[in-house]
Amino acid sequence: MLPVVTENLVHDYVTRDEEGNAAEAKRALDHVNLEVEEGQFIVVLGANGSGKSTLAKHINALLLPSEGRVLTCNMDTADDDFLWEIRRNAGMVFQNPDNQIVASVVEEDVGFGPENLGVPTEEILTRVAQSLAAVGMEKYRESSPNKLSGGQKQRVAIAGILAMQPKCILLDEPTAMLDPSGRKDVLETLVCLNKEKGITVILITHYMEEVINADRVFVMNAGRIVMQGTPREIFARSEELRQYRLEVPQVTELALMLANRGIPMPASVLTPEEFAEEYRKLAGVSSENDPAPALSEKPSERNDEPILSLRDVSYVYGEKTAYRTVAVDKVNLDIFRGEYIGLIGHTGSGKSTLIQMLNGLEQASSGTVLFDGEDIFGEGYDRRKLRSNVGLVFQYPDHQLFETTILRDVCFGPRNQGLTEEEAKERAAWALRLVGVDESRWQASPLELSGGQKRRVAIAGVLAMKPQVLVLDEPTAGLDPAGRDEILAEIDRIRRETGMTVILVSHRMEDVARYADRLIVINDGQIRFAAPPREVFRHREELTDIGLEVPQVTQVMQILAADGIVPPSDAIIPEEAAEILAACVK
Amino acid sequence: MLKNVTIGQYYPVDSIIHRLDPRTKIVGTLLYIVSLFLFRTFSGFIVVGTVFAGILILSKVPFRYLLRGLKPILFILVFTMICNFFLADGEVLWQWKFLKLTKEGIQRGFFMGIRLALLVFGTSIMTYTTTPNSLTDGLERLMSPLRVIHFPVHELAMMMSIALRFIPILAEEAQRISKAQMARGADMESGGLIRRAKAMVPILIPLLISSFRRAFDLATAMEARCYHGGKGRTKMKPLRYGLRDLFGYLFLACYMTTIILLRMFRNI
Repeated sequence: MLPVVTENLVHDYVTRDEEGNAAEAKRALDHVNLEVEEGQFIVVLGANGSGKSTLAKHINALLLPSEGRVLTCNMDTADDDFLWEIRRNAGMVFQNPDNQIVASVVEEDVGFGPENLGVPTEEILTRVAQSLAAVGMEKYRESSPNKLSGGQKQRVAIAGILAMQPKCILLDEPTAMLDPSGRKDVLETLVCLNKEKGITVILITHYMEEVINADRVFVMNAGRIVMQGTPREIFARSEELRQYRLEVPQVTELALMLANRGIPMPASVLTPEEFAEEYRKLAGVSSENDPAPALSEKPSERNDEPILSLRDVSYVYGEKTAYRTVAVDKVNLDIFRGEYIGLIGHTGSGKSTLIQMLNGLEQASSGTVLFDGEDIFGEGYDRRKLRSNVGLVFQYPDHQLFETTILRDVCFGPRNQGLTEEEAKERAAWALRLVGVDESRWQASPLELSGGQKRRVAIAGVLAMKPQVLVLDEPTAGLDPAGRDEILAEIDRIRRETGMTVILVSHRMEDVARYADRLIVINDGQIRFAAPPREVFRHREELTDIGLEVPQVTQVMQILAADGIVPPSDAIIPEEAAEILAACVK
Repeated sequence: MLKNVTIGQYYPVDSIIHRLDPRTKIVGTLLYIVSLFLFRTFSGFIVVGTVFAGILILSKVPFRYLLRGLKPILFILVFTMICNFFLADGEVLWQWKFLKLTKEGIQRGFFMGIRLALLVFGTSIMTYTTTPNSLTDGLERLMSPLRVIHFPVHELAMMMSIALRFIPILAEEAQRISKAQMARGADMESGGLIRRAKAMVPILIPLLISSFRRAFDLATAMEARCYHGGKGRTKMKPLRYGLRDLFGYLFLACYMTTIILLRMFRNI
């Protein structure tokens, strides 16, 4: 039996006018033909808006076909009699962990599905225990979901589906809102369910790292399935993937760069180890005397005058209670004018608290924060003015967009600064042009924008105050690969044009390797490293210990250098690594 | 701003009162409230007070927690007492123009004050010993006869438990949103009432939009997990009366009989 078959599936989202007549139809799925075999691990890849979520909702009978048909476990989704049987057999996990957990206690949430199915009490209890064990969450049986991390919540959601004993689990971008360690946990859970319990997994994602485990990959673009095959087959066609706003893993890209120089590297390597293996066949052993290759240093805009200084800064939550937590622990740090800083740390490392102290949104429990040499919590210090000097863009643009038009929304900051309507508009126009939002869209509602565009408007909303320091909290979270690269390039351009100091918070090393002058790695509220990326990445083991990974390119170079195949180098971006590797091929 | 919102005030220890069925506790609390209004003299307090003290000891909830529950109604309590002090007729102890303090007034003031305090204490014991979720469950079961007149008992209970789950999430989100707007220079600390109300708009709109999105997501997720109302649904943790609940109800019956008899024959 095939768990999922779609035949010429078409879906149109129809917008209706006030009289209820169809005014506009947007085709989200365009003749999709898909067959999933039992027990497979399937990945559906696609950029934002490619139609992949719509497809998942069809398999679960949450949407019904405009044309064609969908068979889930041999049942036609259009047949009302099968509705609950389909949803039981093809359980679905969604993107936002908070918005799918119903109960206030973990075990009660896992029991929610079986309760709905009318399973007898005794059996519900056994199923709940088994499902929680299968995702490794039995310890949290009686916890409140609010106390769990994102990754743990997603595992609870998966357990909630398992308790319905499905044949197939559909996951709609389950890791998009998680940090790397949460993402890893969820993925490992899925692989284990697939291998050990034989459950068919259909994972929808735009993270390439998650594709490697798949038996079969479908790539979607503009509502169509445009590529299908094994991960190796798919990644060998990296040019095509790029067209669909996707990417290949960094090592695959590196292999391709070498192949383009006429070096016979196979285009389908997927991991740093595989890359090193293949490369060994091509290169001899380098002689001890080979000089370390010179890498071009990027010119820094930084000067020696610190703009922000932290002196022995600590932040303690819940002082004098049982929940006392030290979020930031005696941090000393100078940030220099014109510097581009990458602030790295996983969730709960204290990085969010740290950046909120830079503009006085949170007050340090002890120690001082100086802006331009002045104590920001000194008496009579104007902290509202500080906030326009140290502009902070939070992670979710939806938390700040509220006006009827984009232009008015961006004017909010300048107006709060006390500028006239004219001046505020001028500033807003400047900021919107700077982030690349086209003038034709300025009168549109900010709520109608795509994820990447919303992000741009949110950044413009802070830029319009003309800050001297721009702090961005994970500006690329949830964006597809192309959207992510575009935003990062945009930020770099803004910095070069304005000379602003930039602090970029991220948990992706690849994001910061290319642009940052200096990386600050924070763990358990303390600064572990504060140095240029090349120096920080030399400490691969220490970074792994605190749950952070150096870019794949660096991993490859370190493996090969340890084997004596290439001279030791601090290459951290693919272009420079390709240069060195090409030179070493005899 | 909303950091300290906690729903309910469950005091997590294990006691016989904690283990009682929520229905027993709800019914008990209702009867206790009725009993408070049955008598008219101070001697009645001795009966109620003794019973109350016994339950408090059994529940292992510290008395200072109960006092804490009194704080929000302190103003009403004091106000009620003072009104009674000055508004009763009787033996005048002190007079200033039309204000007169009477002996009966002082008596009645204290009587009302103690009654109000015992009322709050009684309901607090219920909320301290019962999680909001089992309270919801208990209410659902107690109200289930109303289904006959098409009262949406199950839906109401489901709404209550979802609200309990989402209030802390939305409270945290409100805080994040207000920080995002403060980072854009929003001023929420100064100005008059109207200015402050206006300053709330940039927070309320994103919060509202987000709530709608959450509601939509949750509805989809519940549907995907085969939720289709209360019909044909089983319970993972069905409420079951135990022996201790039988004792509970027997005790309640004795208590109410005693109070009524005392009221009839001794006129307490």
